[in-house]
Amino acid sequence: MSSTSLSPHIPDLDLITYYAERGDSVFSRVSPWTKACLLFFIVILVTVIRSLVLLFGLYLIVLLLYLLARLPAGKLAYWYTLPVLFVISLVGLMMWSEPGIPLFAWTIGSFTLSLSDNGLILVVTLLIKALITVTYSLFFLMTTRYQHVTGIISRVFPEPLDQIFLLAYRFLFLTLAMTASLLKSIKARGGGLMHSLRMQGRVFAGVFALVFIRSFERGERVHKAMTSRGFNGSYPLSGVVPRPGISEYCLLVLTGAIVTATVILSPYRGW
Amino acid sequence: MTIIRRNPEAPHCPPVDHDRELIHVDCASHTYPDGSVGIHDMCFYVLKNEIVAICGPNGSGKSTLIEHLNGLLLPSLGTIWVNGRTISGGEQAGLWKEVGVVFQRSDDQLFAPTVLDDVMFGPLNLGLSPDEARVRAMEALGTVGAAGLVGKLPNYLSGGQKRLVSIAGILAMQPMVIAMDEPTSDLDPVHAGMIERIILDLRDRLGISVVIATHDMDLAARIADRICLVRNGAVFAEGVPEEIFYDPALIAEAGLKLPATVQTYLDFCAAAGVRPASLPLKTDDLVVALKKSMPENRPGS
Repeated sequence: MSSTSLSPHIPDLDLITYYAERGDSVFSRVSPWTKACLLFFIVILVTVIRSLVLLFGLYLIVLLLYLLARLPAGKLAYWYTLPVLFVISLVGLMMWSEPGIPLFAWTIGSFTLSLSDNGLILVVTLLIKALITVTYSLFFLMTTRYQHVTGIISRVFPEPLDQIFLLAYRFLFLTLAMTASLLKSIKARGGGLMHSLRMQGRVFAGVFALVFIRSFERGERVHKAMTSRGFNGSYPLSGVVPRPGISEYCLLVLTGAIVTATVILSPYRGW
Repeated sequence: MTIIRRNPEAPHCPPVDHDRELIHVDCASHTYPDGSVGIHDMCFYVLKNEIVAICGPNGSGKSTLIEHLNGLLLPSLGTIWVNGRTISGGEQAGLWKEVGVVFQRSDDQLFAPTVLDDVMFGPLNLGLSPDEARVRAMEALGTVGAAGLVGKLPNYLSGGQKRLVSIAGILAMQPMVIAMDEPTSDLDPVHAGMIERIILDLRDRLGISVVIATHDMDLAARIADRICLVRNGAVFAEGVPEEIFYDPALIAEAGLKLPATVQTYLDFCAAAGVRPASLPLKTDDLVVALKKSMPENRPGS
């Protein structure tokens, strides 16, 4: 299996596709519609729930699903790096000077930064919310064949959003492969990502600009290839997405009821 | 048929032969937006049920000509006649239904999520129902020997498999002409051999005319019925492979090299001090010719 991963911290599209296409766990046989609906429910729950305990419980459930599907747990820790950085970059400013019990204060001249218990809870809450969504999204992508994912996208999203997504996926592979081969050629001549950035920053910037230019050129060639086969703006797909069974419908009804109850009750119960 | 020399400075294309020709490019010129000339005063035609090879070095205008055949590019000057219709100016509608193009880089041609989706793309654009398109796609994949790839993702195919699927994607549209840009470039010998057999099969079994743009002289020598030598955006000579390839001065003028078979035979004849008795292009023919040229097999020895 080839790899398009530029770093262990970036989810490897090849590995994700490998599990999606060859997975043999029970979750790979569950209807993609069921898993997509559960993703929708999880997004709603993550949006409305504020209780740290409930969020942690939800995270454990999602993590359990991931592990039961025999997906690579070790990789998950690496893949959390980007969402964690994303959350910290968002709340890095918001967490300071939140009202509450001060835990830590930092004074620079006449300016004081204080971190309260509420500030810390804000960080942890957003972090768990991000991890729940990321973990379930990975679970969904790694247990669902790509043709089923595209089938769902082409039915759920309107044109041209569906086409943008479908073409972007393939294009992402090609661009990553191009970038990876570029990095290989740098390494083959004694360079390295960080080393070359520091030593030959301008050259490196030029090389990455070249990746963008080549991507545009490739985009033009792909468009030409599509036009040569009669592309007229619509991109029909043939894929049939397996429907949920009775038991899956029952699961969705039950989950839907729980989510609805949570949405209604959470403001009153402090969830 | 003897070699026909054309003078790009004073172009003169023969009139369209409606009975025998499928495509006729009449003194077409194309200038790119940056001012560079892609082709100029190009005279070119494709007959029914033939394989025609456009041979020329890099940048000679082969790919530009191929894109004109499908309507991706339109001539700035001149006209293109395709199966009874004259294509000029802004009229290109439906040309893709009659002339399919297999591009040099398969990665650019395969954009759909699965092989089946990609091969079905053209038939669906032709207005076929999904079921009909699926049948067409399966037939086309079967014809190129790639039926086993139907559910695969294009990202994970080898270069040779991608090329086979690219051809199937065009074949599924059942065009009357298929134009291939460097069909065997970057392929291993086994896959190149498969592509070669498919091209012959398209002509012999399905009656599809094939245009190949190539600088692989060995391939052109083995499979082409007619050779067009292209230089600086224009066809400057054309003829049957035996005559074209056994004219070393002409091949050198085109900026190309002789096919290995031809070079070997000519070198042998020169070393043995004999005149070429035949014009072998394929390895089998070369072996026969060499046997005949052996001193003990020569008449009178």
